[in-house]
Amino acid sequence: MPPPRRLLIANRGEIAVRIIRACRDLGVSPVAVYAPIDAGAPHVRFADEALALPGDAPAESYLNGPRLVDLARRSGATAVHPGYGFLAENPAFAAMCADAGLAFVGPPSDVLERCGDKAAARGAAQAAGVPVLHGTHPVDDDGAGRAAAAVRFPLLIKAVGGGGGKGIHLVRTPEELPAALRLARGEAQAAFGDPRVYLERWLERPRHVEVQILADGRGQVIHLGERVCSVQRRHQKLIEEAPAPGISESLRARLVESAVRVARALGYRNAGTMEFLVEGDEFFFIEVNARIQVEHPVTEVVTGMDLVAAQLLIAGGEPLPVRQEDVAWTGCAIECRISAEDPHNGFLPSLGQIDAAVEPAGAGIRTDSGVWPGQTVSRHFDPLLSKVVAAGATREAAIARMRRALSEYAISGVDTTIPFHLWAIEQPAFVSGLYDVRFAEGWGHGPVTIEAERLAALAAAVWFHRRATTPSLPTDGASPRWTAEAREESLR
Amino acid sequence: MKIEIRARGRRRAVEITPAPDGLTVLLDGEATPARLERVAGSECWRLIAGGVSIPVRLHEAGGVLHATVGASRVALDVRRALPVPSRRAAGAAGSGRVEVRAPMPGLVVAIPVAGGSDVSEGTAVAVIEAMKMQMEVPSPASGRVEEVRVAPGQEVAGGQVLVVVAASREAPDLEGTP
Repeated sequence: MPPPRRLLIANRGEIAVRIIRACRDLGVSPVAVYAPIDAGAPHVRFADEALALPGDAPAESYLNGPRLVDLARRSGATAVHPGYGFLAENPAFAAMCADAGLAFVGPPSDVLERCGDKAAARGAAQAAGVPVLHGTHPVDDDGAGRAAAAVRFPLLIKAVGGGGGKGIHLVRTPEELPAALRLARGEAQAAFGDPRVYLERWLERPRHVEVQILADGRGQVIHLGERVCSVQRRHQKLIEEAPAPGISESLRARLVESAVRVARALGYRNAGTMEFLVEGDEFFFIEVNARIQVEHPVTEVVTGMDLVAAQLLIAGGEPLPVRQEDVAWTGCAIECRISAEDPHNGFLPSLGQIDAAVEPAGAGIRTDSGVWPGQTVSRHFDPLLSKVVAAGATREAAIARMRRALSEYAISGVDTTIPFHLWAIEQPAFVSGLYDVRFAEGWGHGPVTIEAERLAALAAAVWFHRRATTPSLPTDGASPRWTAEAREESLR
Repeated sequence: MKIEIRARGRRRAVEITPAPDGLTVLLDGEATPARLERVAGSECWRLIAGGVSIPVRLHEAGGVLHATVGASRVALDVRRALPVPSRRAAGAAGSGRVEVRAPMPGLVVAIPVAGGSDVSEGTAVAVIEAMKMQMEVPSPASGRVEEVRVAPGQEVAGGQVLVVVAASREAPDLEGTP
């Protein structure tokens, strides 16, 4: 079966644009959907057809499974690409598509079900001989010492009935264990009415390493190498890169081999990611991301492959486009996620309207973006605006290009994560490649250098002078000159 | 033009003079040629100063100018340096008339005080709107409003006297105060 002739994209923003581009490359006709607030978005303009969704709230728009399936059928699409987030890993939606005769571009419903149950996925990994973070059954006070020795310190005590961080205690030494157990049981009883606790291995400063998988559902499973995604805040990734710096060839070989093994054990199909925590020479499987990921471009840059195109081919029933031995890796790639967030204020979403943007380009830079002048950043959707990917023959070259690209990137109207990224790529820990998941804590509320303060004062002085000497004043509605200038800027 | 910039707990007196290719900004005792070139929309600029071009994002919120330079963000309070009588000129009694001037050309939106009102240093004596943004004009001294020279709805020029306050104690000496 060839790739679908017409494909509905059940998503928005940069990933919808990304999927449209893969469609164009393959000669597939893309159909977009849009919430009212996204009516002016690039994915709406680039698609062959754009269909309106009833409301802005996710439940009415990009989470509106029945409506999306209905629109797909009415538009003549034979397949649906869910992107990431929204319905991408929803087994019921995948089943709904299949029942409607639409190819779901992702794993089939039963695989999504298995991957979504984290305990089951870890069980499958363990059964396949892949290390997972060691956890115990509920422990009593007498057996806790022995169980703790098996888990190894430091460890976490977690409530069986738990959630929300209650009843969780970090224990570094055997001496701390009895008192911590008492506290944890007390909290667990008070919070959940269940005093049972169990022990789990805790990693002090792990690195987040993941492996990209492609599986055709006909027994072929290959990996496209690893990515490091240790720059995170609130457990969300900010920077990803490939290949992993500071990881030995033997550890890398064990990681990718384990990822393939987990994918086989889960009967995986389509593109997916196996996530691991790495500390020292040890690694532990944590979960599957059963979708195309935000950070897939770094793998595309170093392998020269098109992962979204591969997804469409696999969904069309074709075998994998390459064999494992054909996959080759060249150079380094780093991705910075540009989100409408205020890094100087706890990374809170920065809602508002983008009046204009100038995006970076040039040698070694790829910008995957959904930004448009007039765009409203609303509370309804994830604040991710775009991704800047820098490639280089070496990591140093990629970092230098990233610095240049971030300095070129101008988004007017909302705060973005660009200042954070400019800080991050200059940090010695990042430059060395030996950073871990706690790296971003070093940002705090953002440093202010003396030189930056001086430049800010200079800019403020010029800005104030310019404003004070501007002859005409807009007092009721914007002046024609102001409006004209803003319009010109937004069209540049 | 003489202005005052407060940022990170520091107050700077800054002097701006026109130059052939932009402006010359006298800041911290150093004269730097500087100009702003627009890059995107209302907020994104390049500051071309002292031989380098640097991206700067400037946005105003709540009367405060936020400047993002590289990874740093600085909140700045920028206003025209008010020609306040110096301590000596304020007289032996330690009081004097303080003219509160419009920091920029704009529309007077409100005058929250009237002749005879008691004001403290920092009390808003006028609200001015420009570029769709409103800013409060604070009294630089504590005292009593002696005279209100403008009314809501009136267009004013930068530096125009809005209100005259009879300072009850010493008026702060702003000239050249670091």
